[in-house]
Amino acid sequence: MTRQPMPRRRVLQGGLGLAALGATPLGNSALAADEGDSIVAAAKGIGKTDLKAIMWSNYFVPMKPPMEEFQKATGIGITSIKDLSTPTIPQAAMAEALTRSGDFDLIHLGSEMIPSLVSAGYLEPLDEYMQKANYKMNAVGDYGKLPTYDGKTYGIITDGNIFVQQIRKDLMENADNQKKFEDKFSKPLAWPQNWDDEFRLMKFFHDPDKGIYGSGNLRSRGFGYVWFLMYLYSFGGFPFDPDMKPTVDTDAGKQAIEIYLRDKEVAFPDSPSWGTSQMIPHIAAGDVAACQYWGGLIKLCENPAKSKTAGKWLYGLVPGGEANGKPLWRAAGMPVAVLVVNRNSPRKAAAAYMACWLGTEKASVQMVSDRVNTFHDAWTRPEMTDLRVAEAYSPEGVKAIKANLEVASPNIYLTGNQEFVDVLDKNLGQGYVGQLKAAEVLKNIDEDFAKVVKRIGTAKLKQDYKTYAAIMPTATKPA
Amino acid sequence: MAVAMAGALPADAASDRRDVSRSRAVRRFKWVILAPLLLMLFSLLTPVLLLQLYFSFHQWTVYLSSWWNADFVGFDIFGSVLTDPRFGWALLRSLIFAGGSTIGCFVFGFLLAYLIYRPFRGQALYYALFILPMLTVPIVIAYSAQMLLDRNGPLNDILSMLTGHEIRVLWLSDPNIALPTVTLLDIWNWTPFSFIIMLAGLASLPKEPVEAAQILGASSWRIFWEVQLPLLRPVILLALVLRFLDAMGAFPIIWALLQGGPGTATETLGIYIYITTWQDFNVSLGAAQSYVTMVMMVVIVLVGIRLLRKEKRSFDSMYAKPRETGAA
Repeated sequence: MTRQPMPRRRVLQGGLGLAALGATPLGNSALAADEGDSIVAAAKGIGKTDLKAIMWSNYFVPMKPPMEEFQKATGIGITSIKDLSTPTIPQAAMAEALTRSGDFDLIHLGSEMIPSLVSAGYLEPLDEYMQKANYKMNAVGDYGKLPTYDGKTYGIITDGNIFVQQIRKDLMENADNQKKFEDKFSKPLAWPQNWDDEFRLMKFFHDPDKGIYGSGNLRSRGFGYVWFLMYLYSFGGFPFDPDMKPTVDTDAGKQAIEIYLRDKEVAFPDSPSWGTSQMIPHIAAGDVAACQYWGGLIKLCENPAKSKTAGKWLYGLVPGGEANGKPLWRAAGMPVAVLVVNRNSPRKAAAAYMACWLGTEKASVQMVSDRVNTFHDAWTRPEMTDLRVAEAYSPEGVKAIKANLEVASPNIYLTGNQEFVDVLDKNLGQGYVGQLKAAEVLKNIDEDFAKVVKRIGTAKLKQDYKTYAAIMPTATKPA
Repeated sequence: MAVAMAGALPADAASDRRDVSRSRAVRRFKWVILAPLLLMLFSLLTPVLLLQLYFSFHQWTVYLSSWWNADFVGFDIFGSVLTDPRFGWALLRSLIFAGGSTIGCFVFGFLLAYLIYRPFRGQALYYALFILPMLTVPIVIAYSAQMLLDRNGPLNDILSMLTGHEIRVLWLSDPNIALPTVTLLDIWNWTPFSFIIMLAGLASLPKEPVEAAQILGASSWRIFWEVQLPLLRPVILLALVLRFLDAMGAFPIIWALLQGGPGTATETLGIYIYITTWQDFNVSLGAAQSYVTMVMMVVIVLVGIRLLRKEKRSFDSMYAKPRETGAA
């Protein structure tokens, strides 16, 4: 038999064909069936199990169809949830951990709580179950590392929270704006590559008299610190050195705080007290020129029934900073909403397989492409080429999510995360409203961080540091 | 006379014995009534207080050890509470908030009570209307306020319309205004509490002093100022103390609206203790903060009780004297 060389064009066509197949629902189902079958096979011997979870109903509703499918196949179902909002779940989870309760089997929370809950002896490592079920989290970039701790997986991702830069397309593509911008800054009105570019752009569009505010970034308690950490990381900064000495009051910190505070010039006057529920309606209403926001907002903005600005946005990579003379991109990937399993639960195996099932490509696509219940966001590799996902987010939106996922950066991933976050919240909040100067903010953060480290224990946190450093993205910019 | 006295003595002795036996019976009855309540109170309260005390003297890092293995640190945690500037600021904010709320609630509550304390047709309707804010769930007040107090919200629009000037007050975002704003919301929420107490006080005032003053030709203002107000002093004191204590622990509205922000503008004691205990999971520090706060509250209560007793004594003596004089 003579071997015929395959023409290059044919190879490319074949590749495109496969990619297209992968992008169809049919193609995805075929792939997911294998993965799902092995989970069902692993879970089938357990028998009928009623699981209890602590979860926000906003997250639970889109989980129901795939969950019921699993229940049909294995008898394992989530039959009762304690409905708490995500920000209040850490308290409930810690209370469960302290009482060593086996009452709840699954908890859906931000992955930043994993170190604290593992230290408190509450979480079951999932690797063994994942191995038995032949399940792998097929996440974009290093995103799948975010729910790991000390080399083990403790959470299955259901919501790929990641920041995406969004800028008003109609403003950017307006010829008059382009000319004015170029006249003013001697450079074209283009996608911002760094934070200065972004600020220049926000300032240019900031016109409160016309109802347009340059920035839609959040600066209130519980939210603002996410932006600060992203800025800090993008300048090569990290909150601690390997000996757990706080290192926020450094050059990277100074650049981060400057960017954090100057946003006030282009923000809504109400920004010190606005959270997502106040800001999102303004973004969707078109009152904002630019912002970094969680990818889920794209689904809302691109939904004509809910947004006045459908089709009027550009989505892309967040601006970058610079470290060691080279550009560096870091997008905030927090909170990564994951399902964790209570190790004290007598039903932990059933809970673990349920979590794996909900993290499969098939289940995840259903959840993230739901255009009514928009809490779960895309995070798996196959979702990036899935037509249903593209329809929900727009192709540009999916592309932007993928790019940012590749440089996703974590929350403070240490035991006592909430204490560290409180330190950031308090000092950044005081800085933003003028109760503290920028230099005082950084100094206070380092001093307060040191107190928390001392209390929790330097030796323990030095161990945690290794995981924290290891889950940082390896890429300096998206491929 | 001697016979008469001799005859009277056994009767007096019998009467004394009856008095003693009666007072013993009353005392016994009091204890029978109080004992189950006291038992319940102590059995519920003591474990909590003891546990709090244990945590206040032991540094427990919740993630790393069991509570019974926590390290004994003596008064270290109390020391860090008393030297923590954040706690000091939180205390100051709480005092301002509670003081403002107590005065506001009292002024409006008293005013409303004075307006409707005399029976009239439709009094019940007004009564129901006036107590409505107290029946509203604080979280609902917070979310309604968030909408009403937006920079472009209805309140600023109404103020702009009334004044003819563009008014865009940052009720919730300006750190100088946020605390007065939540104080006003608390006043709105809790004015009915003061109203109810003052209404009860006004309704129970004896009529005679007022009627006597009217016969003597005193004006309504003088009757209010010199007769009714002094008689109401114990009730006023009670209303002030209870409201102040409650306001010192205020939490839901402030938390739901601002979580202590903007900056730290509304970080009162309740908020700070919650953050410490349930956000930071620093249970030991939270317990010590709670203890320090509790001691302050107890001092306030004791001062209140002392003042109330003083008021009661002067009130009693005011009424006892004319009766004694009359008997003479």
